[in-house]
Amino acid sequence: MTEPEPTTTKMGRPVFEVEGASVTYDMDRGVSRVLDDATIDIFEEEILGVVGESGSGKSMFASSLLNAVPPPGTLDGEIRYHRDGEVIDLLGLSPEQLRRVRWEDVAMVFQGAQSSFNPTISIRRHFEETLEAHEYDIENGLEHARQLLADLYLDPERVLGSYPHELSGGMQQRALIALSLVLEPDVLVMDEPTAALDLLMQRSILSLLENVKEKYELTVVFITHDLPLVAGLADRLAVMYSFKFVEIGRAEDVFSNPKHPYTRALLNAIPNLDTPRSRMHPIEGSAPDPVNVPTGCSYHPRCPLADEQCEAAEPPLAETTDKHHAACYYWEEAMEEIELSIESDEPAVDDTVVGRQSDEPVVSVDAVDVHFEQGGGGLFGFFSDPDTVHAVDDANLEIYENDVVALVGESGCGKTTLGKAIIAAQRPTNGTVRYRGQDIWGTRDGRVDGEIPWEQIRRSLQMIHQDPGSSLNSHRKIKSSLEDPLRRWHPNMDPGDREERILGMLEYTGMSPPTDYALRYPHQLSGGEKQRVALIRALLMNPDVILADEAVSALDVSLRLEMMDLMLELQDAFDTSYVFISHNLSNARYFAGNADGRIGVMYLGELVELGPVDEVIDEPLHPYTKVLKWATDDMELSDRIEDPPIRGIDIPDPVNPPAGCRFHTRCPEARTVCREESPSLDEAVSAHPTACFREYPMEHPYWDSEPVDDAEETVTGDPIDAG
Amino acid sequence: MFLNDWLITPLRVIWDDWRARVGGIIILLYVLMGTIGVVLISEPRPGDGPRLIRPFQDWAHPLGTDINGNDLFAQTVHATPPMLEMIVAGAVFTTALAMVVGTLSGYKGGIVDRLLMTFTDILLTIPGLPLVIVLALVLDPRQPWVVGVILTINAWAGLARAIRSQVLTIREEAYIEAARLMGISTWRILLKDITPSLMPYVLVNFVNAARTVVFASVALYFLGILPDTFLNWGVMMNYAYSVGGALYTSGTAHWLFVPLMTIVVLSFGLILFAQGTDRVFNPRVRARHASQDDLEPGEDDMSGEVATQIRG
Ligand code: SF4
Ligand code: SF4
Repeated sequence: MTEPEPTTTKMGRPVFEVEGASVTYDMDRGVSRVLDDATIDIFEEEILGVVGESGSGKSMFASSLLNAVPPPGTLDGEIRYHRDGEVIDLLGLSPEQLRRVRWEDVAMVFQGAQSSFNPTISIRRHFEETLEAHEYDIENGLEHARQLLADLYLDPERVLGSYPHELSGGMQQRALIALSLVLEPDVLVMDEPTAALDLLMQRSILSLLENVKEKYELTVVFITHDLPLVAGLADRLAVMYSFKFVEIGRAEDVFSNPKHPYTRALLNAIPNLDTPRSRMHPIEGSAPDPVNVPTGCSYHPRCPLADEQCEAAEPPLAETTDKHHAACYYWEEAMEEIELSIESDEPAVDDTVVGRQSDEPVVSVDAVDVHFEQGGGGLFGFFSDPDTVHAVDDANLEIYENDVVALVGESGCGKTTLGKAIIAAQRPTNGTVRYRGQDIWGTRDGRVDGEIPWEQIRRSLQMIHQDPGSSLNSHRKIKSSLEDPLRRWHPNMDPGDREERILGMLEYTGMSPPTDYALRYPHQLSGGEKQRVALIRALLMNPDVILADEAVSALDVSLRLEMMDLMLELQDAFDTSYVFISHNLSNARYFAGNADGRIGVMYLGELVELGPVDEVIDEPLHPYTKVLKWATDDMELSDRIEDPPIRGIDIPDPVNPPAGCRFHTRCPEARTVCREESPSLDEAVSAHPTACFREYPMEHPYWDSEPVDDAEETVTGDPIDAG
Repeated sequence: MFLNDWLITPLRVIWDDWRARVGGIIILLYVLMGTIGVVLISEPRPGDGPRLIRPFQDWAHPLGTDINGNDLFAQTVHATPPMLEMIVAGAVFTTALAMVVGTLSGYKGGIVDRLLMTFTDILLTIPGLPLVIVLALVLDPRQPWVVGVILTINAWAGLARAIRSQVLTIREEAYIEAARLMGISTWRILLKDITPSLMPYVLVNFVNAARTVVFASVALYFLGILPDTFLNWGVMMNYAYSVGGALYTSGTAHWLFVPLMTIVVLSFGLILFAQGTDRVFNPRVRARHASQDDLEPGEDDMSGEVATQIRG
């Protein structure tokens, strides 16, 4: 890890010189400075990773590079762009000149490809319009576009002929990258380009990006909240906190030897696969408000090393060691006193949490299939032609009391559907779901006359949704939303008691003063706070099982730990079990591991591996789990981004899942038998069952079968919505 | 608390927008005219004054008189209560029915949806105006509210369909699923979670329905299809045209013009009001107005757009 690689130390001539760039907004409450005196050079053909939490000013920095700050903000300072030896003052350009620089010299890719494409015109038309608007030759331009698409592992003709909605989220994002490169810019600015995608897709895109960057000699500015994600890709990293750069340096230096206390705390707050869980800690306190930035070093309220000097004067961003800048007076102390969890010498023992799991399952899922008819009104569209999506096939799973089961897999693998089947939010097509031994849907329909009434089952199985923006009704105050469960289940509760309960829960989950929070509308809360309210709402029902559907994925990496800790803490207080759904193996490891739970890996509607957390993480058996682990394993800087250990990036269409083992189209270990026979997951065989022939006893015909020939397989998958 | 949420904050928001303010004042004037006005101004009688005085000539008859010496201002004022009754009845009927049918059908789906929508579609295929004319002739309605309902007899169908399609989108929101999983009753979900998001849309359509009633009634009274049972702006125009020949006689033009202006101003007020008030239902705006006196530092009072951009 110590030998400097030639590509990362290369610092050519600067393309961008940013000096003292500031962005301010005048607001009723005062001036809000959302980019504060940013000074940085960006060099030719480097990849600069800009890392910061939401509200750290990183997006403003991106906009500033194109002089495209959203009105009414004003941008001051100096931004110089070098084009073939010519120096251009970006802030002094006319609108027309600026328009040319954007796209032709500096292109930008934003998060959420869906909103960047016009849904009514084809992808080809998008390319043509861009070329026309800049008076490029259409024929040559399209030829270049095809090349770019192919470089990004897309089938050029198919993608060009499609409409945006016909492509999966990952394909759209790659098409957008191709579109932004079609005018052959020198610099590509990417603002959270992969945030909406699965980890595996993110990593795959990143590895493609590296190739594209080499091939077209690009300079890339990659902006993200996810430090480990870019660490392997970037040559240099710049960390932003409270609208300023606090640390800039070579990627491996910043990542392995961070000098600013904030960067060190941030690294310890990010869930990963290697560090003992007990050493990951959220950062105390919260990020500052743009109008009320603390005096002196803006990190001082959260910094364990802060003293009077830090409060009085702002530390400059100064060179510490070779080309490694940090804005901290005590960076030397910080390196000693704030221990990084990855490099601690203490033996890495995770105190195994002794699960208090019951003998009898709370919910058991028995041979459950969930199929959807595609098109025409979802469940009710029986006029449409029956395109059956196999969301879940033959799932068997048991949830015990105080249990945690994490279901992981890519979008569209059926993990959410299976989760909803477990909590009776989704009626299975075949199979039975039981609550304490009693058939849930039979009870619901009055077919089964059990002891437990439907009402009680309904109340015992609750859910927290993925998107904090939609989990609360934006028209209702927090208090009103939280009153629902109490009104429904304790109709005789005194309004005063009800209010007390709610305020108590708000206070407990760190939202204080609670009386203030209770009267807010959802838009006045941050994403993390909304998720906490959703958690409170579910807990007020006193449920036995809570389905947490990607409940932390929408939050900044640095806030995820805090939310997961809170959920685990409340599990003890409320005696619930969680079904935790995530595409991110490190979140699953942290959450389920701390409760001695299990991880279930799903692929295309099937559970392919199920076992205790540490076994699945440390010794994954199924080839697909190994791929997921590759996508997550990002704390290792030594191996730079490499090609994914998988054949084909996109998931096959769940309408026509591949015959045999469903993973055979992408499995690096696939052999010819895998095309015909399908392996099954049998819990009777072991405590860590795996649906792969390789884990079968030796005599399985797999070992005599021929490896499949890659040339026969298509590289790209079919369009499905993987957003 | 309750007062603050349901009265003071909405009023503040309304007052903050000039369109809502002007529209509200216009509507208020008509309501005053229909309530206090009828008490203050005596009923018009033939021979009250000289025949066909022009407006603004004689201050005993500010808007002039018709061919029988009826005071036009008094006629306008005394036509207001039945007109308002008719308008409100029609608008309430349309929106209420559309709301119930649209939300229920969109939220429940399945068999309920198909039954309700089939019925709605049948109504939609019947041409509106002929149906109203036939009903008016057959039923010969005499009460203003019955007239109002007849005039909007199938106007609700289109609205119900539109509401249903909006509910189909809202139904997919996570908070609706959460409410369902909590066992909250359908009616409560419709009332508390779905209706508020529909309100701006419903309000605009309420006003549109009101305008439909105004125009349709005036037209049908003017054409003489509805019986001229009560004093009515349409009937006034009918007389102005048929008796006074107001379209080609300049001496009687004001007779037609006075009820016409009455209608135009009301319609204008309704439009302004609807445009200005959809902000009442925007939680961002509400929050800003509710917290005017207890704004805390750190609270998100930036305009939504800027806030998202900065956060992003
Ligand atoms: S300057 Fe002081 S407060 Fe700021 S990060 Fe360094 S030690 Fe902490
Ligand atoms: S059964 Fe074959 S294709 Fe399926 S995971 Fe195992 S090796 Fe791969």
